[in-house]
Amino acid sequence: MSTVLAIDTSTSRTSVAIVKNREVLFNQFHDDPIAHGEVLPKLVAKALEVESEIDLVVIGMGPGPFTGLRSGIAFGQSFALARGIKWLGICSLDAMAVKIKEIDFIVSTDARRKERFWARYINSKRDGQPKVSNANEILKLNIPIFNEGEYYPDPVQLVELSATNNSILTPIYVRKPDAYPVPKDIKIRAMTALDLITASGIEKQVYQKSAWSLNQFKEEFSKVPKSAQYLVAELAGEVIGYAGIVFNMDTADIHTLTVIDSQRRKGIGRELLKRMIDLARSKKVNAVLLEMRLGNDQARPLYEQMGFIEVLQRENYYAPGVTAVVMRKELM
Amino acid sequence: MSPLVLGIETSCDETAVGIVRGRTLLANVISSSVEEHVRFGGVVPEVASRAHLESMQQVIKQALLEAKVKLSDIDAFSVTAGPGLIGALLVGVSSASALALALNKPIYGVNHLNAHIAVDALSSDVKIQPSIGLLVSGGHSSILQINNLVTDVVVKGSTIDDAAGEAFDKVARIMGLGFPGGPLIDNQAKLGSKDAINFPRALTQGNDIEKNKYDFSFSGLKTAVSRYLAQTPNFNRADVAASFQEAIVDVLISKSLLACKDSGIEDLVIAGGVAANSRLRELAKQRCEVAKVRLRIPPAALCTDNGAMVAALGSLAISEGVKPSAIGISADSAAGVDQIVWA
Ligand SMILES: [Zn+2]
Repeated sequence: MSTVLAIDTSTSRTSVAIVKNREVLFNQFHDDPIAHGEVLPKLVAKALEVESEIDLVVIGMGPGPFTGLRSGIAFGQSFALARGIKWLGICSLDAMAVKIKEIDFIVSTDARRKERFWARYINSKRDGQPKVSNANEILKLNIPIFNEGEYYPDPVQLVELSATNNSILTPIYVRKPDAYPVPKDIKIRAMTALDLITASGIEKQVYQKSAWSLNQFKEEFSKVPKSAQYLVAELAGEVIGYAGIVFNMDTADIHTLTVIDSQRRKGIGRELLKRMIDLARSKKVNAVLLEMRLGNDQARPLYEQMGFIEVLQRENYYAPGVTAVVMRKELM
Repeated sequence: MSPLVLGIETSCDETAVGIVRGRTLLANVISSSVEEHVRFGGVVPEVASRAHLESMQQVIKQALLEAKVKLSDIDAFSVTAGPGLIGALLVGVSSASALALALNKPIYGVNHLNAHIAVDALSSDVKIQPSIGLLVSGGHSSILQINNLVTDVVVKGSTIDDAAGEAFDKVARIMGLGFPGGPLIDNQAKLGSKDAINFPRALTQGNDIEKNKYDFSFSGLKTAVSRYLAQTPNFNRADVAASFQEAIVDVLISKSLLACKDSGIEDLVIAGGVAANSRLRELAKQRCEVAKVRLRIPPAALCTDNGAMVAALGSLAISEGVKPSAIGISADSAAGVDQIVWA
């Protein structure tokens, strides 16, 4: 005899179900990517009107956008604590996968920033831990992909899985926090002329058409050390990122801050940015400025975290239709 | 018997739970992720939010143990619903909502800033209102007129740039003292002379005082300290700390007493993290005695973020007959002091 309350907040959908001895007493959802915190208590209140005696809480543990995911987990854990009952965590992608009748397929959900959370299933078994990748990279695998939209992590499936699967106790974040201490094996040092070729190679890979050419890079670098500074980040002797700052009379401009794709979100960009700010401070300027494309939301949280504030937008700056956002950080 | 209230606070980097019965403090448990943020030189929202989720259950259990009560004994839940970091707030709001729903008890979503002042109810029997409130923390520096702490609070002035606590953090950073700056500067200052350097007191003279009578500005002070350090190769660290601290504290207290005088209110409550500063407490006591203003400052341990203050505000709301919040509280990262109890 068991009555299970199941919760999932790993996608833009908040879902709640109550299942009593395999009979579904309640199963409702609400779609809103930013309202899990408000929606979940309302749905659970409705569910409890149907059946209030709960023996177990089953929680979808992600992967999913952090804030919504955490609302569901915090709620489920506290509910179990208050009732003096147990809770179990299940991978949310598994709850989507059980509904799919294929032998080899991928289940994927929105991870924002143009990325997807995903896992591959072979013979109804998950192949390894969930991952996060660029949507195009998953397409390249050429395996049928099932996204949320057609399928969602169904809380009733969470309950089914909780009876058989290994449950988990920690959230599946996959992604690291935006800020992370710089890994110990990363070395930051001044750029030399010998690094220019590597750096312009990274430029092409990251910025493609709008990358600086080697000549443009050389010209930029020629301002060092009188009116500019360039630093590189090195991993096992290989350059994986660089940043440059140009000093004016009262302000300093960060001209580039670049980390190769495979080494992002490890705190390297943050460390380079911090060093740029320190350099600006040592030159006793009043403020540091930087420019980015409107819509470049990958880097924006980092800039804001480091105290940069948007001061103006320049339309058609990089190219027709591309707006530049100027951000400024005051120094003391 | 007065109601038993459990309060949850997760607006910044402290995961905290407090339990009060009426105005009596029964438990106050805090788990801080500040150690992790030291590596970054400031609070990182995602790191803080993860830490909240990790320690929430343990902190609740610990508080119940300390108060020697069971969750089922709790009469009402109270939770910080804003202002604060949105991801961090949501961990507390979701937890409190679940507790209230699971046990079928009322929930009060309350304002973090007002809770800082409400904590005074736990250490004094005086009726809190009407009074002038000086609220000084890492995120806020305001002078409030508190007509009724749960229904009617008016902002008389606030900072036009940095918060007082922020100024402490930034100056500590440029002096190479570390993070968080408040306690580090407080300790350094004890070894130095407050009169060694005459740092500016912004918005205290001439036209400024007419236009920004109860407002603060600390960015000029920060610049002045930075300039002094650059121009004085052999500066005395303790003297700089003491003189900087004196400049901030002097302005905070002068303006608060001015607000008391102008409004005819004879009670001053100082609250928020910066109210733990020893020089602020000492100087406020001296000046209030002279001005014949009754001063109340919560014990230093209750000035920094904690769950007891959230429970205290919830408890006051109950005693004033304020209706509980509806199910599904919306956390508001930018709530102002006039949004005291969520509808
Ligand atoms: Zn606070």
